[in-house]
Amino acid sequence: MIPLFDVPSCLNSWVLPPRSNTFVLILLLGLLGVPSSPRACAEPVDFQRDVGPLLERRCLSCHNDRDRRGGLSLRSAAAALAGGDSGEVMIPGDPQSSYLLELVVPSGETAEMPKGEPPLKPDEVAILRKWIAGGATWPSDLYLTPPTAWSLANLERPPVPPLNEATSEFALRNPIDRFVAVGHRVAKIQPAPPADRRTLIRRLYLDLLGLPPSPAAVTAFVESNESQAYEHLVDSLLASPHFGERWGRHWLDLARYADSEGYLGDSMRPHAWVFRQWVIDAINRDLPFDAFSIQQLAGDLLDEPTLDQRIATGFHRNTLRNTEAGVDLELYRTKEIIDRVNTTGMVWLGLTLGCAECHDHKHDPIKQQDFYQLYAFFNNADEVGVNATMPWEIAEHDRAMQRWQPAWDILVHDLTSFQIAGLTPDQKSEIAEVLNAKTPPASPLKDLEKYFRTQDEGWSDLQTSIEVHLKQRPVAPATKARAFAERRRERRKTFVHIRGVYTRHGAKVSPGTPAALPPLVARGPLADRLDLARWLFEENNPLTARVAANRIWQHLLGEGLVATPNDFGVKGAQPTHPELLDWLATEYRRLGWSRKALIRLIVTSSTYRLSSSLTAVPGQESLSNQTLWRQNSSRVTAETVRDIHLAASGLLDRTIGRRGIRPPLPAFVTEVGRSVKWPVSQGGDRYRRGMYIIFKRTVPYPMLMAFDAPDSTVSCSRRERSNTPVQALTLLNDPEFYECARVLGQEMLRQHPHDVPTAIEATFLRCLARSPSDQERQYLIAAYDDLLALSAAGQNRSDEAVHSPTAAMTAVVRIIMNLDEFITRD
Amino acid sequence: MTAQHHHECEIDLPTLNRRRFFATGASGLGTLALASLLNDDGLLASETPSHVTHFAPRAKRCIYLFMEGGPSQMDLFDPKPRLNELDGQPMPESILQEIKFAFIQKESARLMGSPRTFRRYGKCGMELSDLLPHLSTCVDDIALVRSMHGEQFNHLPGQLMMLSGSALQGWPTLGSWLNYGLGSESNNLPGYVVFATLGRGLPGGASSWSSGFLPSQYSGTLFRNQGSPVLNLANPAGMSRDVQARSLQTINELNRVRLQRIGNPEVASRMEAYELAFRMQQNAPELLDLSGETATTLAEYGVSRDEASQSDKSGFLGSYARNCLLARRMIERGVRFVNLFLSTWDHHSNLDSGLNRYTKISDQPVAALLKDLKRRGLLDETLVVWGGEFGRTPLGENRVNFKKVTGRDHHPYSFSMWMAGGGVRGGQIIGETDEIGWGVAQDPVHVHDLHATILHLFGLDHKKLTYRFQGRDFRLTDVEGNVVKQLLA
Repeated sequence: MIPLFDVPSCLNSWVLPPRSNTFVLILLLGLLGVPSSPRACAEPVDFQRDVGPLLERRCLSCHNDRDRRGGLSLRSAAAALAGGDSGEVMIPGDPQSSYLLELVVPSGETAEMPKGEPPLKPDEVAILRKWIAGGATWPSDLYLTPPTAWSLANLERPPVPPLNEATSEFALRNPIDRFVAVGHRVAKIQPAPPADRRTLIRRLYLDLLGLPPSPAAVTAFVESNESQAYEHLVDSLLASPHFGERWGRHWLDLARYADSEGYLGDSMRPHAWVFRQWVIDAINRDLPFDAFSIQQLAGDLLDEPTLDQRIATGFHRNTLRNTEAGVDLELYRTKEIIDRVNTTGMVWLGLTLGCAECHDHKHDPIKQQDFYQLYAFFNNADEVGVNATMPWEIAEHDRAMQRWQPAWDILVHDLTSFQIAGLTPDQKSEIAEVLNAKTPPASPLKDLEKYFRTQDEGWSDLQTSIEVHLKQRPVAPATKARAFAERRRERRKTFVHIRGVYTRHGAKVSPGTPAALPPLVARGPLADRLDLARWLFEENNPLTARVAANRIWQHLLGEGLVATPNDFGVKGAQPTHPELLDWLATEYRRLGWSRKALIRLIVTSSTYRLSSSLTAVPGQESLSNQTLWRQNSSRVTAETVRDIHLAASGLLDRTIGRRGIRPPLPAFVTEVGRSVKWPVSQGGDRYRRGMYIIFKRTVPYPMLMAFDAPDSTVSCSRRERSNTPVQALTLLNDPEFYECARVLGQEMLRQHPHDVPTAIEATFLRCLARSPSDQERQYLIAAYDDLLALSAAGQNRSDEAVHSPTAAMTAVVRIIMNLDEFITRD
Repeated sequence: MTAQHHHECEIDLPTLNRRRFFATGASGLGTLALASLLNDDGLLASETPSHVTHFAPRAKRCIYLFMEGGPSQMDLFDPKPRLNELDGQPMPESILQEIKFAFIQKESARLMGSPRTFRRYGKCGMELSDLLPHLSTCVDDIALVRSMHGEQFNHLPGQLMMLSGSALQGWPTLGSWLNYGLGSESNNLPGYVVFATLGRGLPGGASSWSSGFLPSQYSGTLFRNQGSPVLNLANPAGMSRDVQARSLQTINELNRVRLQRIGNPEVASRMEAYELAFRMQQNAPELLDLSGETATTLAEYGVSRDEASQSDKSGFLGSYARNCLLARRMIERGVRFVNLFLSTWDHHSNLDSGLNRYTKISDQPVAALLKDLKRRGLLDETLVVWGGEFGRTPLGENRVNFKKVTGRDHHPYSFSMWMAGGGVRGGQIIGETDEIGWGVAQDPVHVHDLHATILHLFGLDHKKLTYRFQGRDFRLTDVEGNVVKQLLA
């Protein structure tokens, strides 16, 4: 990276407490790509100052005493001089003959070493050369240490930079803005102006609810004179039940939620939705993130757990499951547990534990033993089903029974009239038993014929009617939540799996947390999942809060302060604003882990409200946004693509939670899987939000996949945002989206007959929360006229939709719904 | 994508009026309008990612003929006279102890010979079964590997292993890796295309062409061989091509206004995506239109075989032949990777009739494809791969509820595959199995080795083609794989 700006020669143009100098320095290094080693100059090379840190940073992660890649360790002078598998690597005094230099001098853009990394910078190579030339001085008692992740450092609350409000380029509304403003000043970057109110309300709606604002809401906000209009809008959105859907979906990505098992059978998990419902509800009532997490990891181990807390343990029941006939079930059980360990690591610790499944982690301080100690926490978590029939299901069933019962009563009454005389009470109750059986036989009267006058007229009709009606009897709901229950007897022992092969047992291990992290204090003699869950939220755990705060930031600013949300290790991205991240992490904790409070804090900052336009500040068009001089705009998520179509067209069914839905799909899509049944949802269900579309792992819904919904095989902490022709074809031609355009087109014509410009204006407002510019309006009116003429040219067709203003207006709405702006959150 | 494609015509779009629009006619305008919109802004040239091979490639495109279910190698490719002699005998105890089966009962299991007759064909004298009369005329172009082996003895894990190098769901498939590594050469079609001829559906469904943890643009696109070939390719019912073209014009006009306003290159990418989508709409239907093919070609593939064989109710004969021909048409249009699934060869019972049926479906069109590619000079740069996820046991399958033993169980420990074209040395056999066809006796080729070799043929070092995910650099070959030098021409 080439430095974009000169490093300011003087940092005291504003007053900062001493500690913040480090902060500024880190910022500079991180943002501007300034090499952190001193430039090669006339000064002599000093091992401790120049060489040691360089070796630690660039070489030691592989060439340490433990890993010795290529047989080489660079930890001490003795080890370095001993060389590796290829012999000596350096000859003091003779850089020309030193193999080390040969390896690190780049040819073109790459060098042999550091392997798979960007090569050393010229000044770094110069340091090494000079050092070797000068005799490779290295004090014999000086041992180097491999780099450790920044994220393992203690989490302390940094002081908020005390900036002078008056000279600030943007309003310093809360501490977030102060941290960000320091970065702007250091980099001499002009922040973008705030976005206009129309952009802001659409941004807030999409970020907090995943739905577009209604035209009425836009008008009210734009015209409001209230000083706290923005804050009030935020509060109302945080209180909306759709908030839980939007933020629940983020969580379901991490939970690799799906409605089927995966693999060959891929059978349905018909009650998987119970967990989804729990997530939505928990987020809506702002269950603090610590309790939210503890319940999901170990709700079953809480004192007298509630049904809700047991349902929460469904988090780790979302793993793929292979039930193919003849498969090695124990192998796939271990694969599920490995996924649980990996997911726990990524979601709460931001650690890629999976690397330690087969061997010690190459870069982060996670040993293979650590991995299987974590495995041990989950090895006795048995998979159970918990009765979880919801009150609304019972009510729904009651209503259905009320519709079904009257006709049944008449049939039973008629049946009585066929009874032979003199039936004993036992015989009568035998009849009742068969008819009321939970799963009645297909021909319930067949074995009872001896009790009836079957020769009488009407018997056979009645018998048929009873059979038919009984088949239609509503099935009583029996919903089972997928949950954990700790195994108490015949507990499994846990061993290290040598090279990750589960049948090759290494050392026996007990539940425990990685040695590099603060120790876990167990409640009993043996730590359990509840101890693990609580340990995540101990004050001294440096990771959980950082990872959680970063993830919320990522959903609101488009990118995390750490760009690799599931990897806070040495090989993950460095934070762009380390002090801001730590402040947010401690603030999250201080706010009692209230997700809504932290979100409120972030979205009410000036930083969040900046314009996302690249042209907002002349001259900064091609400047990267690592300094957060503007907001990021991004294409909305797959589910939101569907939701905004349905919402704008007025078709959206806003039912929250409950069972999943199956929108129409052509057979050639469903039949690639084995015995996939796809009975299309009827009525309003067809128009429910995208997050409710049943996710069948071997036949994922194509529209969702086209827009980068995760495939739910493993936890997903950051979705791709691709931009493909398949997306264009979907938006243009998918029958569901076309239906949205048609319905909205008809509605606009109904509301504004004979007034195309106004209809276009209204469509724009519904879809984009703004009016078209004159130029845009002209383009659209010209399009309307052309499209009307085109449809008139096809008048010989019988289809009403193709030769009328409706057709033209539908096509115009379709144009607006295909605009980049429609599917982008600016 | 390169810029020169878009210099077909200069139209100044902002001044284009209605009269001009109708005078030009929609057929040409859509493409031109979109192209010029993008080209005028100089947006296309800079978007091309640079894809570099590690060394000179021999293959540029691949047709993978995936035989789902596990075809029986000793009845097709690997004659075992000793097995025939031992027909009805129990297996050697030493082998039985160490193995697992999906369905076979070990105690009563008996070896099952093959009723097929094998003969030598071609200059190379390759032995093939009487079930492959057409392929036997191509043996000098194919390299037969009789020593394939793996570990997965269940369908989906085996298929995922063969397709993605991992038995777990969620890894990118071969076609995704190739497109990730090399990019697409087609301006009008996706770089990774899938056709499926389905018995009872694929065990993995769409995960059989998933991009796994690679970005979704590298996933395969499922094509139908008739009607509208791709999901959502056809305009909504009743919407004419003219309306579509006119609509796209305005979509791009407005997107361009936005691009100028906010300067975000993502908007330009979206305009480009719409252009490609429209070109797909124009070109993909042409792909399925076989009216330009000669009667000889159609007959050679056997495209109209359904009519000739009324006894076959499935319609696979013509359909699979059509897919093979379409694969060639795809390759001609620059598609990088075409995977043709044929399901299913999973003959636990009625092996004879099953093999008869599936070789009848596939033998003629596959041989026709090889010859057709060769005649057109396409075989040199087109790698053709034939194989399933594993083979079948030399033991007859005596599943508990089977009345008679008429089939074979899954067998990953040795099986056959073949490759042709794309830098593969034809007319040779690689590897040997032991005398009963249980294990590999010589020159074992693991699934990872196959993958390493395929990437090698494309000029890619399988150790260097990596993608970072969850903190690790992942490869198609995981941490294994050796290039099989003997396969290379």
